[in-house]
Amino acid sequence: MTELWVKNACVIDPIRGINGEIMDIAIRDGRIVESVSDRADVIDAQRCLTLPGGIDSHTHVSGTKVNFGRYMSPEDMRAGRTKRKGKMHVTSGYYVPTTFGNSYRYSAMGYTTLLEGAMAPLEARHTHEEFTATPHQDMMANTLFDGNWAVMDAVREKDVRKTAAVVAWTLKAARGYGIKLTNPGGTEAWGWGEDLTGIHDMVPHFAVTPAEIITTMIRANELLKLPHSVHLHCNNLGKPGNYQTTLETFELVPDLNAARQTLYATHVQFHAYGGGTWKNICSKAEEITRSVNSKPQIVMDMGQIMFGRTMTMTADGPMEFNLHCLHNNKWSNHDVELETGSGIIPVTYSKKSAVNCIMWAIGLELALLTKNPYQCLLETDNPNGAPFVKYPEVIGLLMSKRYRDEECATLAAGVEQRTSLCALEREMDWHDIAVMTRAGQAKALGIGSQGKGHLGVGAEADIAIYPIRTDSVDPAREYRKVVEGFQKTRYTIKRGRVVSRDGEIIVDGANATFWVDAKVPEDLKMENDPEFIKRFEQFYTVRMSNYPVQDVYLPRGRRIETEVFT
Amino acid sequence: MKFVLNTGRTVPQGTSVEHKGSDTYRTVASAGFLNPIDMMLLGIEDGDRIRLTTPAGHIVLTSRPAEGVVRGEVFVAIGPYANHIISSETHGTGMPDFKSQSVDVEPTGEPVKSVGELMEAIGGLRF
Amino acid sequence: MIEHDVVCPFCGCLCDDLEIETEGGRIVKVQNGCALAESTFMNDVRLPAPIRRTETGWEDISYQEAIKETAEILQGADRPLLYGWSSTHGEAQSVGVHIAELIGAVIDNTSTVCHGPSILAIQEVGHPGCTLGQVKNRADVIIYWGCNPVEAHPRHMSRYTTYATGFFVPDAQRERTVIVVDTRRTDTAGIADEFVQIEHGGDYAVLSALRAIVRGKASVIPAKVAGVSKEQLIRIAEICKTAKFGAIFFGLGLTMSRGKYKNIRNAIELTDELNRYTKFVISPLRGHGNVYGSNEVFTWMTGYPFAVDFARGIAFYNPGETTAVDILRRGECDAALIVASDPGANFPRAAAAHLAKIPTIVIDPHVNATTALSRIHIPCTAAGIDAAGTAYRMDGVPIRLKKVIDRGYPDDAEILKKIYDHLNGGKGP
Repeated sequence: MTELWVKNACVIDPIRGINGEIMDIAIRDGRIVESVSDRADVIDAQRCLTLPGGIDSHTHVSGTKVNFGRYMSPEDMRAGRTKRKGKMHVTSGYYVPTTFGNSYRYSAMGYTTLLEGAMAPLEARHTHEEFTATPHQDMMANTLFDGNWAVMDAVREKDVRKTAAVVAWTLKAARGYGIKLTNPGGTEAWGWGEDLTGIHDMVPHFAVTPAEIITTMIRANELLKLPHSVHLHCNNLGKPGNYQTTLETFELVPDLNAARQTLYATHVQFHAYGGGTWKNICSKAEEITRSVNSKPQIVMDMGQIMFGRTMTMTADGPMEFNLHCLHNNKWSNHDVELETGSGIIPVTYSKKSAVNCIMWAIGLELALLTKNPYQCLLETDNPNGAPFVKYPEVIGLLMSKRYRDEECATLAAGVEQRTSLCALEREMDWHDIAVMTRAGQAKALGIGSQGKGHLGVGAEADIAIYPIRTDSVDPAREYRKVVEGFQKTRYTIKRGRVVSRDGEIIVDGANATFWVDAKVPEDLKMENDPEFIKRFEQFYTVRMSNYPVQDVYLPRGRRIETEVFT
Repeated sequence: MKFVLNTGRTVPQGTSVEHKGSDTYRTVASAGFLNPIDMMLLGIEDGDRIRLTTPAGHIVLTSRPAEGVVRGEVFVAIGPYANHIISSETHGTGMPDFKSQSVDVEPTGEPVKSVGELMEAIGGLRF
Repeated sequence: MIEHDVVCPFCGCLCDDLEIETEGGRIVKVQNGCALAESTFMNDVRLPAPIRRTETGWEDISYQEAIKETAEILQGADRPLLYGWSSTHGEAQSVGVHIAELIGAVIDNTSTVCHGPSILAIQEVGHPGCTLGQVKNRADVIIYWGCNPVEAHPRHMSRYTTYATGFFVPDAQRERTVIVVDTRRTDTAGIADEFVQIEHGGDYAVLSALRAIVRGKASVIPAKVAGVSKEQLIRIAEICKTAKFGAIFFGLGLTMSRGKYKNIRNAIELTDELNRYTKFVISPLRGHGNVYGSNEVFTWMTGYPFAVDFARGIAFYNPGETTAVDILRRGECDAALIVASDPGANFPRAAAAHLAKIPTIVIDPHVNATTALSRIHIPCTAAGIDAAGTAYRMDGVPIRLKKVIDRGYPDDAEILKKIYDHLNGGKGP
């Protein structure tokens, strides 16, 4: 039995309605309890800001394309490197760090749970291997279905139950957490070097549209009672004028779940562009947030960009090729048979580029214009918009109008006219930030019931104690203190153990991987479906028996079983 | 005569690669494939031995005719025989010139060494 | 007993449809595999026990002794080299990286003398590729450039390309155009619709010519480029541009010949160019079964796919300096641990010779040329035969190798963990 007593903590725990109370937290064997014995280790939080462990609900840290980003970028590996020290392994990389680099830096920032944004089922084993080497965060993997042939066949037949059955089989095989759609239909078209231009375009050879894929998958997701909703990277990412596609997509979404959203729209900054060309691109954040503010069924994340060099990596292969044709730097592409695609290129977001400045402004506008912070979560689509180590700066910008104004003064000309950022007075408070970095994520991902995102009795003791005294810091004026404070916790506690102290990792990690075992009726099991098996054996290049991820790849797997539907 | 030494994988080399002490491996790895016209010019026939010399050393191989090999090239399966005479220079890439080593080829009566002998020539000891 | 869907660990194809019949702990029959697979499973002669070189010959020693002495040699070395890794599973590779990190060693894998130059090119210009099933299901044009799959990857064509029935290519043999580019008229060239015979060292020029033609600049091309006629080049460019889906596979004919990584860079840029007209992909044909896995494991752990030097405490990478051949050539390392590979046979003589001058330890199931150069050889399981573990196919698809039989050998990952423990005062990685 191990016990820990955190006293004098200034707790903000939005899920439990606690906002800045000075309290003590008792922990026994990794969970929060009512009280502990007097033999417990004691941490005096000294009235510092204490939050549930941070949760990233959309980040790219593990798997085939992330590793390819490293593989092709020795220049980035040199950009951030640390020696072996104590419990810490060598790390390399700045915007695509090695797995240990990711894990240590997230931990230093108080993050204890991550959702990998995109995992191709065929390559799931790779993602899980890297999860094991990302030891200080609990992990989950969004599983890609955007170009899944069996799904598209079921969608064409308008068969929601069959769609659900394919999803259930694949999630189990890949040990995945939820449904990810990246440019639905577009990644299949990219198999021929083509793309789709809107949600009503036909996917070549499959006679389905993105709209049909999205709506059917939403229904299948809810039929399966998955903890998370459909997680969507909309079509037309990064194209001027794409906000209309985004709005049209939002219009498709019914409100089917009382406990959480029905659609999680990711990195919406990249999907909120007006205009028709790179010359006249402008912000449509107002239109997007107007829609979201009226639709509780939608949660989005910011997809904030920050200035500097980074790497874009996404399953959206065609988008990456278009971007490559603009940048003419190196380009990698990796299409995955019967499932999805992916592309990688390095980019530099520059204050000298009006387009980049507008993108930067849009992300902030989305957050500031969304009334309910549970509906707009703080992410950079790491590393696409910026490496996650920039989150503290994003927090600073959201909390301080002065910081924003100072930044705006350094931007390229013309930005003020094409966004409304400078006119926005809103300054977020500590509670808003706590929602946007953990409580909102826990709710959106449906992991509150797994003891994540709050500090109630029974919760997993994932806690971040920041060197910030909310009673003596004015974030609007002293935003630098805010940024610094969120960069390095005083203590990051993971399942009751202090894993990181003042930015240094002090123990070996012991993370868990959450995955969903969705139950379907016996007659719908794909492993018994002769047609599914036949097509699998014919068109995949691995045998069906060698496809599912073996349990050995999840040394601390946490299976979440759903109820069977009828 | 001047030739370019080219190396590559072959099925017989691959099937015997884990048995480097075997006679089969010696036979496949020590075969030097030449264009038949070049063999004529060298005055040798199938199975005659040839001596290949480079600045890095020399090696004796058994010549074999191969139509697919162009004039001026000698092809040898990747392995210790070819490597015995390939320079370890990598031009800053980590990769030696496995496919473009210039060699002198001449007929010889010397025997073909075994892999063990080659290793012993560089300080090793056969197991 | 018959085991189905067994994965062959020999080459980067990792064919996973073998049927293997065992009888009393012995493999008696291999079905569906190529000649290389059959020999991998059937002619698996092992070193029975650890051996140590003496003044006059070899003596058997215990595993415990062998492991202890290995650790002591590594501990005492100023500049140890850990090399190989491509014929074992990721679990062993991962322990290897941890050892290198712990003792400040250089760790390199066999891609250094295989597709290392391809990696250098990819680090310059990226890699437009895909999984092999994309090619199987879609490609109507296949190009094999500087490679000879008939000999080196015997089932590549029947499983993934030329002869494979694909969803959009139901009549593969008729619907796929196969182009082979090589200096030699190989057996692969024999099945090509177009064979392009290039003069030695002419790949770079031919790739440049094709790029120019694809861009509409055929007028600048002379009548012959490295022995290839302009007419044929124009015909090839046209086949590529009008393909629905084209796939280039390349081998050591590009990575090892003059120009090395610049050849690959040019081939990738040709692929990039073709994507402005149609869909095109390019992929190296990786040799050892899990060489790509060694690149993957090294990369997520250290940031670099090969040639990683921990001497400075951080991970440092500079091919040409930190690559195994160069370190040996310069006589720089003072101890070597060779795992699942045979540099004695595969490195130029001067590099291999240095292994005999320093204490070299081999961990490998089989006696090989490096055994003769070593001080200690520790036999272990062979991944995919008597040990399970992860391997990455040449296209990055991770597959679990199976344990088909038990031959009583320790897994190399276990041996390496014990060495790590010795080095780390009894604490594991």
